[in-house]
Amino acid sequence: MRYGFAIDQRTCIGCHACTVACKTEHEVPLGQFRTWVKYVDSGTFPDSRRDFGVMRCNHCTDAPCVTICPTGALFTREDGIVDFDGSACIGCKSCLQACPYDAIYIDDDTHTAAKCNFCAHRVDDGLEPACVVVCPTHSIWVGDLEDESSGISQLLATNESTVRAPDQGTGPNVFYLGAARAVLDPLEAPVKDTYLWARPDEHRLATSADFTGSDPTAATTLNTAHPRPWGWRVITYLWTKGVGAGALFVAALAAVLDVGLGGVGDVVAPVLAAAAAAVTGGLLVWDLKRPERFYLLFTRGNHRSWLVLGGYALLGFGAAATVWFGTAVLGADAAHPWLALPVVLLSALAAGYTAFLFGQAEGRDLWQSPWLLPHLLAQAAMTGAGAMAVAVVVAGAGDDATALVARVLATAAVLHLAITAVDLGGRHESRRAEVAASTILRGRYRAAFWWGAVTPTVAAVLLAVPAWNGDHGWAVLAAGILVQPALLTYETVYVRAAQDVPLS
Amino acid sequence: MTAAEDHRVGPGSSEELPTPDLPGARSHEALRNFPPPETWDHHVAHDARAHPRKVPREFMLIPTTCFNCESACGLLAHVAKDDLSITKVEGNPAHPGSRGRNCAKGPATINQVNDPERILHPLRRVGERGAGGWERCTWDDALDDVASRIRTSIMAERRDRVVYHVGRPGEDGFAERFLLAWGVDGHNSHTNICSAGARLGYTTWGGYDRPAPDYANAKVILLLSSHLETGHYFNPHAQRIMEAKSEGNAKVVVLDVRMSNTASHADLWLAPWPGSEAAILLSVASHLLRTGRIDRDYLRRWVNWRTYLERMHPDRPRDFDAFVAALTEDYARYTFEFAAEESQVPVERIRALAEIVAEAGPALSAHIWRSAAAGNLGGWQVARCLFFLNVLTGSVGTKGGTSPNGWHKFIAHGFDVPEGHDAWNELLWPGEYPLSTNEMSFLLPHFLQDGRGELDVYFTRVYNPVWTNPDGFAWIETLTRTDTIGLHVALTPTWSETAAFADYVLPMGHATERHDTHSYETHAGAWLGFRQPVRRVAMGKLGSAVTDTRESNPGEVWEENEFWIELSWRIDPDGSLGIRRYFESPYRPGEKVTVDEYYRWVFENRVPGLPEKAAAEGLTPMGYMRKYGVVEISRDVYRRDERPLTDDELSGAEPDPDGVLRLPTTDESTPPLIGEAGAVGVQLEDGSRVAGWLTPSRRLELWSDSVASFGWPEHAAPTYIESHVSRRRVDLAAGQRVLVPTFRLPTLIHTRSGNAKYLNEISNTHPLWIHEDDAGQLGLATGDLVRVTTRIGHFVARAWAHQGIRPGVVALSHHMGRWRLDDIHASRWASGKVDLERSEEGVWRMRYVEHPRPFASDDPDSSRIYWEDPGVHQNLTFPVQPDPWSGAHCWHQLVTVAPAEPGDRYGDVQVDTRLAREVYREWLAMTRPGPNGEGLRRPEFMMRPVKPKRKAFRA
Repeated sequence: MRYGFAIDQRTCIGCHACTVACKTEHEVPLGQFRTWVKYVDSGTFPDSRRDFGVMRCNHCTDAPCVTICPTGALFTREDGIVDFDGSACIGCKSCLQACPYDAIYIDDDTHTAAKCNFCAHRVDDGLEPACVVVCPTHSIWVGDLEDESSGISQLLATNESTVRAPDQGTGPNVFYLGAARAVLDPLEAPVKDTYLWARPDEHRLATSADFTGSDPTAATTLNTAHPRPWGWRVITYLWTKGVGAGALFVAALAAVLDVGLGGVGDVVAPVLAAAAAAVTGGLLVWDLKRPERFYLLFTRGNHRSWLVLGGYALLGFGAAATVWFGTAVLGADAAHPWLALPVVLLSALAAGYTAFLFGQAEGRDLWQSPWLLPHLLAQAAMTGAGAMAVAVVVAGAGDDATALVARVLATAAVLHLAITAVDLGGRHESRRAEVAASTILRGRYRAAFWWGAVTPTVAAVLLAVPAWNGDHGWAVLAAGILVQPALLTYETVYVRAAQDVPLS
Repeated sequence: MTAAEDHRVGPGSSEELPTPDLPGARSHEALRNFPPPETWDHHVAHDARAHPRKVPREFMLIPTTCFNCESACGLLAHVAKDDLSITKVEGNPAHPGSRGRNCAKGPATINQVNDPERILHPLRRVGERGAGGWERCTWDDALDDVASRIRTSIMAERRDRVVYHVGRPGEDGFAERFLLAWGVDGHNSHTNICSAGARLGYTTWGGYDRPAPDYANAKVILLLSSHLETGHYFNPHAQRIMEAKSEGNAKVVVLDVRMSNTASHADLWLAPWPGSEAAILLSVASHLLRTGRIDRDYLRRWVNWRTYLERMHPDRPRDFDAFVAALTEDYARYTFEFAAEESQVPVERIRALAEIVAEAGPALSAHIWRSAAAGNLGGWQVARCLFFLNVLTGSVGTKGGTSPNGWHKFIAHGFDVPEGHDAWNELLWPGEYPLSTNEMSFLLPHFLQDGRGELDVYFTRVYNPVWTNPDGFAWIETLTRTDTIGLHVALTPTWSETAAFADYVLPMGHATERHDTHSYETHAGAWLGFRQPVRRVAMGKLGSAVTDTRESNPGEVWEENEFWIELSWRIDPDGSLGIRRYFESPYRPGEKVTVDEYYRWVFENRVPGLPEKAAAEGLTPMGYMRKYGVVEISRDVYRRDERPLTDDELSGAEPDPDGVLRLPTTDESTPPLIGEAGAVGVQLEDGSRVAGWLTPSRRLELWSDSVASFGWPEHAAPTYIESHVSRRRVDLAAGQRVLVPTFRLPTLIHTRSGNAKYLNEISNTHPLWIHEDDAGQLGLATGDLVRVTTRIGHFVARAWAHQGIRPGVVALSHHMGRWRLDDIHASRWASGKVDLERSEEGVWRMRYVEHPRPFASDDPDSSRIYWEDPGVHQNLTFPVQPDPWSGAHCWHQLVTVAPAEPGDRYGDVQVDTRLAREVYREWLAMTRPGPNGEGLRRPEFMMRPVKPKRKAFRA
């Protein structure tokens, strides 16, 4: 059994009855919507036109929100309904990133994720969802898509239908009949200054120049707000764990190469790593809308979710830092070369797991790049080496040490720049990724990107290279400082731009 | 349970008897849209917020009727048995009109019920009227004061000094009852700012003042209004229009100056210059005549063509062929080219329209309501010309065609209906407007300022003339004068701009808190709906009998019918005025009737088929209506003009020379709501004696002697009257444009929906629609402040330049521009706080000092308000522009559009009321006052609420 909706835009009159019936059924707070009606105006007078589209959760067969949800609060029922249990939600917002349809929001009353759940409480009682009941023109059909004799199956068998963002491969179970492409594909109809009887939210307004559709007259004239779920905390978390992982990696590398870092390798690196892991964890918990429930990550963790696996990675990394520190304090430095390999792996995992987490964020195509894993590792090495460079130079740890951090820093920074060039400047798998990348390279974020992220990194490379053999410690120190805000700036535009691409 | 609440009759319980198929019942396999009615008294639902945890709660599902727009769609309220709270309202599947479905405003009723800013207690003014001082008073205080004033007026024979001014009534019969009982000529509807134009167009054809298209079976649907998004009758009509389009392949043609949601579904969209619609329609008529695609048999039988020939072509032979030839010639001048010139619509589009209409045959559903008929000088002729197409194609009253509303509407009167009074209120029915469809309500301030009369007691009932009517400052000036309006009583659920200028503000219930009956022509059948206070009904069913709706409503909120009964009783406590008897129980002689008894009597005695339907379910008629909230009266009703008269009807009737069958009458006779006293039908040429129409000739009047006899022979047949905003009168180069200020959104309804948060959050800006080319010419871009100047002042709006409106026209939606003077006696969800000042010369200025913003209340959502745009109160800047024929306010404005000037702020309004007086006099001068040659104040057959005796018609 697989419940789904068919929405007949040929008869939909854009009246918003579904929206309001849904809101009264579920007592949805102001400004939030489980279903809503989008308008697109296009054409030139007197051949103007308006199209409607009823937007909502697609109850995907392969629902990315269920995969990413760390606590199983989102789940697929036997009947195909993608349901949620607010009492199990920690408010991590990863589902908002995973959903390619803008269908999920954090309820302002409960501070937990919510979305259309097919009125599962009604379905269990043998009743149609509220939106289906209210629709004046019976434009919303509901039924079992696996039952060929059901009304919805018959309707879909005898009429052409489309789904939203089929390229996402999620298997949407909301089918549209007679929907205009400009309604279903948000990149076909940017917002232009205003809606016809509401004001676009600032976030959506900001995207108005990010892209143009194939019909330049098409404009979205009514829609709802979908603010970026992740902000500075997640941006900062990318940096903190990178610095920590990179620092411990440099210490481990030094141990393997037998480069004496002294206290910097034995104490500073692991302390920095552990502190970074702790701050990272703190940021993650702080970013939860229900932080007091963070323990659910462990008590009912979904082991397919990289939010959970990442948590374990950070714990493992923290443990590695502690062992490294402990062995040093206990005078067992000799163990470090043997510890180096697991430490390097755990550091890489801590720095790199976000590639898998972001990979599960199916709604953010920019993040779906295969380059993300090596990129995160290079970034971690760069910022970690940068932090170590400061420590090495301040502590006067010697030319070998300076040379090592300078080489790691320079190499990692060049890799970071190269991957950036390939990742953002190269071919993109989807239009959404392309739009996000062009917003960074040529659009709203170009100043921050070129001046705040790229230029200082190039400068850092130029400063680090003269220190390649351990000379000019001040230069590598400067480089080590420079790369930190440069990467924060990079992550800011990278995290924002991906979330700026409209999905609805 | 008391006997009064036990609606079962006969053996067994109602559960054992079959329940009827509900017109709105549907299922998608295992899922049904509503629980079956037999479970409505003990419906168990699971808490949506607790899901997936199963938290069951038991409800009673009590039907009632939406009180937002006129459609009167059925609602089903969920009343929780544990605390008697209303948790939500859905549609009512038993309702034949709405069939269980609703627009956004239906479910949003729950917002209105739970509005934390509702008025919960009667309030009495303290200090100057309009100064904002209020104190709580008791209902007894208010009733005694109001009753004694009305009693004084009645006893002094001042029967034109008590006026009841009603917004959209949403009920039939009760207001007429108490006004007739009081014997005052005081019914004052809002209609002349609304639908009066269209009504005159339809009235002059057949007497009935509204069309009732059978959309569901139409082949062609011709819409001059946006029926897929607004009232009359939005949801019921939209259902059927889209059904016809998707299932019956009907073609939809829409005439609208802007890209409406309705136009978005049109097979053909024409955006004519405002006011040119009649020219287009007449060119279509001309095409039908020229190409012979007319229904000759229908015309011959039902149109007063002999009169037409006699008046227009007295020299021609009186035969039908001569008539068709003459008619074809008379309309030949309305060519497509002429229509194209007037409307600025390409000839091809008009020709396409004509071809589509010609193909419709008898299945042409055509409709105009407000829109062009409410916008333009002579707008009534747009409706008359539109119905002309129905007449020519023989699509009148047919399956898929257009019937008159009277065939699909049923008014259920109470017991012992008071007879007509003999008063005539010149303030409402002035001599200048003998053909006005309804009361000249919006001229009241000017008439009072003219010294034409005074009012002792003035009720505004869920009506907000200060905001809704044109020339609102004239209303404020008049309402603040206690010498011309002795007492202003505002009956309203919520604060409004008008309530701020009342002496008493008396809280009345929303849709789930009142009793009414009503019936509207939603389709080719009739139904009677029953609005009821759902908690009261639930409490009754649970065994705690409620005898006063205040006991079940929030605070001391009442319902009007109980209020009117009580007020009437106090006006005539001893029965000496002859009023009390109409409010005595038919079941308990001499005692005050209860609202339960009133409707019980109505349902037992006035509703055909109801007692039988009820009995079939083992219910009393009252029990049936309490359970279902509606009863179907008839279905598949067509061609009622051909209904043979019964012997009873014919008894004593004699045909006059035109075949009209008449009973003897005197000057004491009271004509029916529509039609002439004594007229029962018509005897046609073939001898058949049938009901016919309600015009003096009982036929469809292509030529209206009534129009001619009141001085307008040139407009007696369908014709094109050039609008006050026609293309020729607008100087585009000087920045003039036509402002269309009336278009409505599917999500809001006048000022009634201001406290529905779920509607406000969808629709909360108020841009001035302007074509990109116009914007370019005027130096404007989207978001710019625009100063729009009318004859009497200006307002400042914000532009939206786009391609969805015809060049030359700007448009600003209805509903927005709500304001308040303070934060306590106000609804803040969607209003801005204003500074209001008047100079000594009479120039008013209004400026927002605060836009909508979050506020603290019991509802956490009020702190989440994220919209900031209160809109622009454009109506304040409109002078009164009464159409000399229909009396309708002509809403379209000839305006100058320009970038805002330094110092202008969004929402600013400035008006010079001296200029407003000037414009009033100019339009008044366009009239040709009655009486007519026979000394009549107005044609007797025309609809007139609370119709007086025939003698009152004599001037």
